[in-house]
Amino acid sequence: MRMIRTLALGASLLVLFGACTTGGGSKPTVKIGSVGFDEARVVAEIYAQALEADGYTVDRAGIGLGARKVLLPALESGQIDLQPEYIGSGLASGYGGTSTNDPAKNKADLQAILDTKGGGITVLDYTPAQDTNALVVRKETADQYNLKTWGDLAAVQGDLKWALATDCPTNPLCAGALKDDYGIDTATIDLTLLDACSTPMADALLQGTVDVAELCSTGPEIIVNNWVRLEDDKGTQPADNIAPLVRNDYLAKVDKAAFEKILNDVSAKIDTPTLAQLYYDVAIGNKDIKDVASAWLKANGFVQ
Amino acid sequence: MTLVSDTLTWLTDPANWTGPGAIPQRLIEHLGLSAIALAVALVIALPAGLAIGHTRRGSALAAVLANIGRSVPSLAVIGIVLPLTVMIDPQLGFKVYPTLVAMVVLAIPPILVNAEAGVVGVDPDLTEAARGTGMREVQVLAGIEIPVSLPVIVAGVRSGATQIVATMTLGAIFGGGGLGRYLVEGIAQNDDGKIFGGVVLVAALALATEAAFARLQRALVSPGLRAPGGDTAPVPGIAET
Repeated sequence: MRMIRTLALGASLLVLFGACTTGGGSKPTVKIGSVGFDEARVVAEIYAQALEADGYTVDRAGIGLGARKVLLPALESGQIDLQPEYIGSGLASGYGGTSTNDPAKNKADLQAILDTKGGGITVLDYTPAQDTNALVVRKETADQYNLKTWGDLAAVQGDLKWALATDCPTNPLCAGALKDDYGIDTATIDLTLLDACSTPMADALLQGTVDVAELCSTGPEIIVNNWVRLEDDKGTQPADNIAPLVRNDYLAKVDKAAFEKILNDVSAKIDTPTLAQLYYDVAIGNKDIKDVASAWLKANGFVQ
Repeated sequence: MTLVSDTLTWLTDPANWTGPGAIPQRLIEHLGLSAIALAVALVIALPAGLAIGHTRRGSALAAVLANIGRSVPSLAVIGIVLPLTVMIDPQLGFKVYPTLVAMVVLAIPPILVNAEAGVVGVDPDLTEAARGTGMREVQVLAGIEIPVSLPVIVAGVRSGATQIVATMTLGAIFGGGGLGRYLVEGIAQNDDGKIFGGVVLVAALALATEAAFARLQRALVSPGLRAPGGDTAPVPGIAET
């Protein structure tokens, strides 16, 4: 591992010198942040290494910083310059907008709000990959109650123990959608509130503490445990494609077109299976996030 | 300050004072589990501390165990015991037992160490005189050592109880009840009033616990040891903690 890292460092230094000799715009340190869970951290690390390969210096102090509650003020106040964001959830739960399952519309709506935040923040291109809120049950529960869709849950809602995200009761996409579109009343079911996509959430389902859990659709635990992801048959959940948010004052200091191209080219290559694999390698494979990110960048020709 | 007004609005909203998940219910959950944790910690730590103090044996081992208990973070304790407790009960073993274990582990060291130190600190003239009058060892412990060192012993219980009340908030991360729910839910729901309302309640409860045990501690000074005119006096040979 150490040798790979040393080589990676050497490689990025070479690129750095190369970049210096060819000239180009100024490349001030970019401060990157992300929310705390593995998937967001590995995507942030990929953006970081892609920028380093082009000669930028990266400050990683904000990667894994915490929930949107912490991260968005950090971005708006310039404590970080860039963060990968789930545009559907970011729009709905970060900025009080209404997200849909159309990523282009989510991006446009989020951009309109961010134009006025922190002196202007730009939403770059989003990944083809989507990570959607998923309701997941164990195989035996699916068989016992013949569950395939969220709609199937309505009839047996009282027989099941549920774990939903902690923000669910006040989130229109969660408690609101369950009640209005599916007739599932979160006020009357046996409900435990846990962190979305977290280890406790997956553990609760694994250990039988609950029968239905809200996980990220790319969550590796779903594959590993052969769980059943139920279909959101009414299409209530937003399209959560990932896009980098960058402060405009940072973009003004660099060669904007070249900077954006680096990130947009990377984002274009991250599809849903890729995202799930990256998440899997970190969360289940216990690989170092930096190693996973650099291996993927090499495999896709972004770095030598 | 919108933070102050948000917090006051949340604390004074009648909807937060009645019904499921309201403040009275969360307070009862918080106090109930804290009381159980304190009782378990007392059953384990008090006899052990008194025995070690009286016999002067095993104090090195006790100090090591107590230090381990103090140095392991509560969240780590929860993470370590959770896989074991869910095997006992998938419901309580996930939401309640891990936090209970963490609270007990954290409360044992101050109770044990103070019980030991209190008994060790009793003036040897007193215990020797007691033995000279023909008291048996159990009588020396029960009749002399415990009453004389009671304020020190209760100081340990007071410290343990305060830590229990504060640690209880962590249980909410694993779906447990108590006042910690307001912190965890407030952060996730982006509701400052709820977060800081919860903070105020938890802090007030910790201070109230501290104050209640401080009163108890003063009340338990043996009448024979009280200085004339005051209800507490430095007890000869006992180090205050």
